[in-house]
Amino acid sequence: MFRFFRGFCLLAAAVCSSTAPSAHAAGDLLVAPTRVILDGSRGTEVVLNNIGAEPATYRVSLEVKRMTAEGGLDEIDEANANAAERAALDMIAFSPRRVTLPPNQPQVIRIGVRIPEGLAPGEYRAHMLFRAVPDAAPAVVDPAKPKGEGVSIALTPIYGITIPIIVRVGDLAATAKIGEAWVGDTRDGPAFNFHLTRTGNRSVYGDIAVTRPGVAEPLLLARGIAVYPEVGDRTVSLRVPAEVAAKLRGPVQIRYSEDREVGGATIDQADRVVK
Amino acid sequence: MRTIGMKRALIGAAIAALAMNAPAAHAATATGTAKAKILRQITLSNTSDLQFATVISGATASTVAVSTAGGVTCGTGLTCTGTTTAANFDITGTNGAVVVVGGDANVTLNGSLGGTMNSTLSYSATNVTLGATGGSFQVGGTLSVGANQTAGDYSGTFNVTANYQ
Repeated sequence: MFRFFRGFCLLAAAVCSSTAPSAHAAGDLLVAPTRVILDGSRGTEVVLNNIGAEPATYRVSLEVKRMTAEGGLDEIDEANANAAERAALDMIAFSPRRVTLPPNQPQVIRIGVRIPEGLAPGEYRAHMLFRAVPDAAPAVVDPAKPKGEGVSIALTPIYGITIPIIVRVGDLAATAKIGEAWVGDTRDGPAFNFHLTRTGNRSVYGDIAVTRPGVAEPLLLARGIAVYPEVGDRTVSLRVPAEVAAKLRGPVQIRYSEDREVGGATIDQADRVVK
Repeated sequence: MRTIGMKRALIGAAIAALAMNAPAAHAATATGTAKAKILRQITLSNTSDLQFATVISGATASTVAVSTAGGVTCGTGLTCTGTTTAANFDITGTNGAVVVVGGDANVTLNGSLGGTMNSTLSYSATNVTLGATGGSFQVGGTLSVGANQTAGDYSGTFNVTANYQ
């Protein structure tokens, strides 16, 4: 009976598939923590959880990404990785690389690091990608479509999460300076922008708080802003609602502080007049 | 004996919180109790697909565009039927966290009866600052339909990632 229904469904796919998408599609996922720093030979664990409604197979892999001056992360083909990126891919070991999970089933991914002898001090980084291997969706057939005419289209997203895996070798230090700040328009609406300049031999990472002198409540909070070693200067562009954009203009204090997990010390603090 | 039982219960609760994506696991800081460490997490869910619906090609090449809001612009000479939607992805995680959105700029679709089509993809945001209830981004696209495009069911896949920096 069920089989028959399935067959019927295929014939009248448009009707059935329009009701098919649920709040949680197969392949939805949770990853924790969201950033890994390894120094020395001690490894760590990352949890992957299937938060979809159906069993799904996930693949775990390492990717090379480079930060752009605009703060984006460009995906770099493994063949074009530079020596440091290659070294990161080679020294980070992890397992399992493929796992099938029923709904709400977490899986621990163990991450280890083998620092080769004589490796130059510095920060080595790869990005761990977690994503579901999708079942190809059938193209939606529209019963209204005249036979032999027209095209129907099925686009299946292969979606996943990446988190940075950072390996620090040697005694490294870095600091950052906040530059000019302005409110500008992007194609998606207003954004609060400022320059962040980094010096030193590792990345900087932390939270941004924008406050108005004399007002306790911050105008804007943004957590997890990094400047990676491959860029010396990046623009931080944060989309904000129009009313927040209007409030941000004028004198503000911008504070860039270390992650709360490591104490939340101020990296840089600057008074700026936002244009 | 009782303490051990208590410990186990706490660890169990922490695992359950993580496993079930309960609100407790959304706690912004990683300062757990003495018995359980709450990890920062990110979730990504696909809640709608990019649908161009059905397109009947014309004598000249044209395009069908689905905006990131889901609206359709049917090019001259084409007939578009059905409901179009943009792909939607929901992200949850630490309140205030900035997530970088990445993905393919275009996708090739292969027809069941031969023929290919290309679509460019557009993203509603390059980065998303998560609020208390998370955030979302949408993917739209512009499909290039050839003159008298071979009929059939076209399918393709594209990559989308939510990246922590």
